[in-house]
Amino acid sequence: MQQGGNVGRRTVLKAAGGSLAVAGLGATATACGGGSGSGDGTVTIRYSWWGAEDRAERINKTIALFEKKYPKIKVKTDFQPYTDFWKKFNTQASGGNPPDVFQNAIGFLRKYDAKNVLLDLSRQVEAKNLSMDGFRAGLEKFGEIDGKLLGVPVGSNSMALVIDKPVYTRAGVKPEQGWTWDDFDEAMAKIRDRTGRAGDSGMYGVMYLYDLYLRQSGKAFFTEDGLGFTEADLTAWWTKAEKGVEAGLFADAKKVAQIKPKAALSAELAGSEFTWDNFTVRYTSEGRSEYGLAPIPTTDGKRTGQYLGSLMLSGYKRTEHPEEVARFIDFMVHDPEVARIMGYDRGVPTTQAQWDAYRPTDPVNRAIAAYEESLVESGVLEQITPHPNGADICEAAFLRIAEEMALGSRSVEEAVRQFFTESKTALAG
Amino acid sequence: MTHASALEDPVRAAAPRHRPAKSPRPAGPKGRGRRENLAGYLFMSPWIAGFLLLTAGPMAASLYFAFTDYNLFDAPRWIGLDNFSEMFGDPRWRHSVRVTLWYVVVGTPVKLLAALGVALLLAQKRRGQAFYRAAFYAPSLIGASVSVAIVWKAIFSDDAIVDRTQQLFGIGAGGWTGDPELIIYSLVALTVWQFGAPMVIFLAGLKQVPRELYEAADVDGAGKARQFWSITLPMISPVLFFNVLLETIHSFQIFSSAYIVGGGAGGNACGPADGTMVYTCYLYVQGFENSRMGLASAMAWMLLVAVALVTAVLFWSQKRWVHYEEGAR
Repeated sequence: MQQGGNVGRRTVLKAAGGSLAVAGLGATATACGGGSGSGDGTVTIRYSWWGAEDRAERINKTIALFEKKYPKIKVKTDFQPYTDFWKKFNTQASGGNPPDVFQNAIGFLRKYDAKNVLLDLSRQVEAKNLSMDGFRAGLEKFGEIDGKLLGVPVGSNSMALVIDKPVYTRAGVKPEQGWTWDDFDEAMAKIRDRTGRAGDSGMYGVMYLYDLYLRQSGKAFFTEDGLGFTEADLTAWWTKAEKGVEAGLFADAKKVAQIKPKAALSAELAGSEFTWDNFTVRYTSEGRSEYGLAPIPTTDGKRTGQYLGSLMLSGYKRTEHPEEVARFIDFMVHDPEVARIMGYDRGVPTTQAQWDAYRPTDPVNRAIAAYEESLVESGVLEQITPHPNGADICEAAFLRIAEEMALGSRSVEEAVRQFFTESKTALAG
Repeated sequence: MTHASALEDPVRAAAPRHRPAKSPRPAGPKGRGRRENLAGYLFMSPWIAGFLLLTAGPMAASLYFAFTDYNLFDAPRWIGLDNFSEMFGDPRWRHSVRVTLWYVVVGTPVKLLAALGVALLLAQKRRGQAFYRAAFYAPSLIGASVSVAIVWKAIFSDDAIVDRTQQLFGIGAGGWTGDPELIIYSLVALTVWQFGAPMVIFLAGLKQVPRELYEAADVDGAGKARQFWSITLPMISPVLFFNVLLETIHSFQIFSSAYIVGGGAGGNACGPADGTMVYTCYLYVQGFENSRMGLASAMAWMLLVAVALVTAVLFWSQKRWVHYEEGAR
């Protein structure tokens, strides 16, 4: 430390005093939470989202743009991976110190509304701080729950069958709009037989896909306050899945579990995967193959049950700066330059102005645009069904218990019973 | 404010203004004892404040939460013993108890056997023993870290070194981390690998055994095995007891390795099909993923009771097998 290696008492005391002072500063900063304004009228708002480094880079660029336009508003940022995001958010929110504005999704609206966390932005719309005009395909209604505007869609996406293109070509499978589940089963077998790879990564555990399947016959995964299907429905779905796993149509769940957090598709364990269409961006950077988008199989040759999903921005109910939060959200969903920076990272832009501003040039993003346009043209998009308080826990349980079934550590019957038990608890809470 | 008052309180309590005139305190200049007390408490104050604010307070709160339905957002609602009855009725909770017990019952003895075995080897007089001691101790310094758990996960995956070695011997079990049954063995291997701490304690115990006992046994013609059973083991039994106690409690509290090797971030919390869903993992899932802090608190107290019971049983059992030498201390 010091020359001669002799650390005197004064040095230690000084160092201790210094670190105490630093700790004190830290405490002050936390206590204020960056939420209060300073003397010159500058206001700081905190913004958190889930995602990875590449999303952070883009978002930081858009914030620089925002701060240039609104020099009196400063934005402090923070991000985590998806699952950690909500853990941190819950802890902060329960301590009355959540971010002023944050990324959100449809499945969380009711949950956090019930917990009194979400700001009703409709008053900011009335005050003209936030415009809800110019949204595509009725997206402006997505964040409305019981007459309150709890979230503003910032990017929209749809479920798709993301495929490994060379694998599908080698197997001679060409999915077309309106293909049926029988066609799909046949395709899975062809891929297995001709390429030696499993056809799909594990569709049976994807809550959003099972939702589509149920919607194709007039049901849905959730009702306003519970599950929209019976134990018999799920038994049929998972019995078929179990056979598919045994037959090698679906990827070996053991292998899929090991390569996490990488996806089975980009790890070349499966030829395709049901997920959101903007995931092709991630798989293209993660995997070595070329990835494309195929339509969702149907029951009757027409209905896919699809709807637009969406990432949103929400505000904190007790934020000290609702006006600034509204202006920030307004800027992020309407500014054309923001669209050019973000691309399709959070899904395709939700407003027409942003949609027009960003014209993708690379094949991956162009395919997403084409897919989204084809859904509108074929007229398969329907109204979204509700996601009650507890939906997120049900989704996680669905995925986990399906995996346990695929690994053989639960019979279908046990798995179904366990899922219904757990969702009952989750949806009651 | 809170800091200052927490700092003053114990001082006042320790040095009441109206001290009886005749202090029972032995000699020494007047007031010196009081001043020393004050200084002592002042030096202790960071620790006392930390204990009250960061340990005792939260513990009392969690005891209260254990009897409530508390989701972090709404005020806790008193529900009596409902959390406990839900816990016992929950198959996933029972599964986590089974996984934890299995880990404790298998992992702890294996780890202690490894520690004792290596300690016996290192207690012999050989060249370079200091180096070996350091080398064997090293894993326990880094073993609990997150990075080692990540490496561990890689080692036990498909086509990684363990799987390849198995294949050499014609075992086609595949990687362990994707297998709900095998993954727990990789955690046992991880804890056994960190045998350094108990080993050092064993080593110290072995050094304490008087040499003349062995010399006498040699004269009487006792073999090495006989000497081990009749001299070494009884003589180090206090150390053995200490290690068993410490490692058992430690094993009950396993969390980070189970959480990380089992997947942690990105996907299911604790292993494929809950393969590494140890007790604390499930506690974490209920508390932080499902926002059921009341239930999680109840689980934490249940764990405390269980560990206390096991400790009590161990202490009770020591009468039968732990040998304290008369006049040894």
